[in-house]
Amino acid sequence: MHARVPAAAISVPPPLGDHLSLPATRDIMLIQQEVLFAVREHLRSRGFVELLSPLTGPVTDPGGRGAKQLDVDFYGHRYKLMTSAILYKQVSLRGFPRLFYIAPNVRAEPLETAGTGRHLFEFHQIDVEIAGASREEAKNEAADLLIAIVRHVTEGVPDLLASLGRDIDFFSALLQGGFETRTHTDAVADLSGYGHSQDSGSEIDWEAERVLSRKYDRPFFVTDYPKGSRGFYDREDPDRPGVLRNFDLLAHGGYGELVSGSERQSDYAAIVKGIRESGENPAKYGWYLEEARRGIPASAGFGMGLQRVLRYLTRTESLWQVTAYPKLPGVVSA
Amino acid sequence: MSALHAPGFPEEAVRDRARKGARAVFLDEGAYGRAVIGARADTVSARDPLDLARLIPPVFMPRRLEKLIDLAGEPLHSDVDLSTRIGGFDVPCPLYVSAFGSTQVGADLALVVGAQAGALGIPMVVGENVVAGQGLRTGSSLFGRLASYTAALPEGLGGVVVQQSTEDADAEVWNRVYSDPSVTPLLESGRLGFELKVGQGAKPGLGGLTLVDAHEARRYAATHQVDQASGPGDDLWLRSSTPGTFTEEILDQQIRFMRNNFPRARVWVKLPPGRDVAEAARMAWEAGAHAVTVDGAEGGSGWAPSVFLDRVGLPLHECVRRIGSTHADPSRAGTDRGTFLVSGRMWEAGRAVAAMALGADAVGLGRAALIAADEDPENGLANLVSAFRLEAALLISALGKYAIGDLEPEDVTLPPSPWPTPIASDPRPVF
Repeated sequence: MHARVPAAAISVPPPLGDHLSLPATRDIMLIQQEVLFAVREHLRSRGFVELLSPLTGPVTDPGGRGAKQLDVDFYGHRYKLMTSAILYKQVSLRGFPRLFYIAPNVRAEPLETAGTGRHLFEFHQIDVEIAGASREEAKNEAADLLIAIVRHVTEGVPDLLASLGRDIDFFSALLQGGFETRTHTDAVADLSGYGHSQDSGSEIDWEAERVLSRKYDRPFFVTDYPKGSRGFYDREDPDRPGVLRNFDLLAHGGYGELVSGSERQSDYAAIVKGIRESGENPAKYGWYLEEARRGIPASAGFGMGLQRVLRYLTRTESLWQVTAYPKLPGVVSA
Repeated sequence: MSALHAPGFPEEAVRDRARKGARAVFLDEGAYGRAVIGARADTVSARDPLDLARLIPPVFMPRRLEKLIDLAGEPLHSDVDLSTRIGGFDVPCPLYVSAFGSTQVGADLALVVGAQAGALGIPMVVGENVVAGQGLRTGSSLFGRLASYTAALPEGLGGVVVQQSTEDADAEVWNRVYSDPSVTPLLESGRLGFELKVGQGAKPGLGGLTLVDAHEARRYAATHQVDQASGPGDDLWLRSSTPGTFTEEILDQQIRFMRNNFPRARVWVKLPPGRDVAEAARMAWEAGAHAVTVDGAEGGSGWAPSVFLDRVGLPLHECVRRIGSTHADPSRAGTDRGTFLVSGRMWEAGRAVAAMALGADAVGLGRAALIAADEDPENGLANLVSAFRLEAALLISALGKYAIGDLEPEDVTLPPSPWPTPIASDPRPVF
């Protein structure tokens, strides 16, 4: 069961003009600018090409955890706003074997997420995909990218971090690298030891991520999530049915998931079967399946939540504080 | 008409098809929208073992003695406790309202049935195709039905279960419900469920079928297959939903996906009366379903080809017989999972108590709920349930028992079964 926050405890944004004129908002936006600079500099130096992601399409990432997709009327056809551009990333590999987006996404998350401090209706992902890569390579890229961002910000604008109350020593272990890897099974057992009950067949719940994440002095990976807890595009381990070759990178200090990634499923029949296992009619994914039938390169990749990284860097309580135009799930605002 | 006759041959049926074409596959369409279709009583009831079952009270009643000691006085039928817990919901008696077919009959009476079921605290399943057929928020829509159900729902009782078929998945019915502010009270009180529709009783192996006019047909054309019922020029159109493809792994994964994505909703799975129904039920429970509902081949309130009503699927008694032994799994005792629910021509307590003695935990009212609400929109269902409760209490107390869970196969005798051995399912993998 996910943690539920009583309505009165949910921190909501002030009127937009007030929010934009807060000194903290300005400091955080200046840090965001540095993060984006660091991302582009780092990834370009590693041979990645930046593309601009699509905003709409006939289908989008079906995702998980009960988030609702939003319809757009595309000249009489029902299109979707992008919850993530994962399907486009995979197809783009045919021309761009190392690519990234700074992608805007829209997800109508369940109302219970309004109080987690970790969910927004509109957010951005640093979306990376690597043709021919294994999960290990994708994990290494994610770790290196996070280290590059933190190094650039802590060295470049320490005064901004200080003004937000963030001691840069908080990141000293991170900057040394060496992020530990726990499997989902390990994490469930660890959580049980901490007195937190976690369903072994499901995604690690938000409260559990917070509990786990407080036990570490630097970010750490959780791998091998059970099938059924993620989208159909995560590749199942051929040697261990029911186990996905995927990973999350969780921040230390109680901040939870920053990155979600995996080796991708690129085999046509396995993709069709995976879509069916998530309850849908594969016909809905017509254009993507046509591309898959013609051949999508094997790959691995990840999405890093920009606002989640900012919240982690700036020691803020809620994600809405680190975005200029915040929208919380279910909370009517500008 | 010629002088040709064919004694001993189904001549009239052939002539009917010769006149009407594909339309003759169904019952007379004059009944469509007014009749609730299921197996025909004249072909079923006289040989339905569940209707022919007899409940046999013993002479010696140790459970009555236990109750006598408990009460410090002789028990009566009014001492039977009909309340129980099914599919994650507390209920006043072992009844729920099963999903109606998505024909106009179900849509017209849905709000009336829902309001009465809610006031009684009896769980209600909202069927597939409601969003496609009625939209989200108007009249007899999904949220309209939820609102009518919850208007007088007693504290702590009942619950609403929203079905989703493969086509509904395209419309994201569960996602829309789960994140809608109007269902928050149901979610927070643990009274929202989702039912994965694997199949149905009246037409196992097929998806939903409805007849629509040309205007409706145009509206559905983008999302469903619509064909003129008798070919070009016909003014009635047959709208067909895909049944959806299931293998063991697909069912297992879909249930796990539901649990992962909707952790605060109860998970129900509706199975058709297929030859491997016991295996499918076991798998669903193992994957974490709170309830498995099985619609016998006698079930149905929508539209089905006559040949399916007459010839396709296991009768309910056989489903119960096959699942009953699977269901008696001690590892599920005391858990909130693993409820076994059945529907198919249920309306009185005799058939229901026989089904429960054979292993079911509760029974679903389908056509009976519609007819009752049609008879009396204010109290019809309440009256039907009231009669059921009295009858059930009389029967169960006569068996010397005072709780639903005490019913056992020893309480019932069935006529000789035409199904001596369950047919083993085909173990070959699909891939």
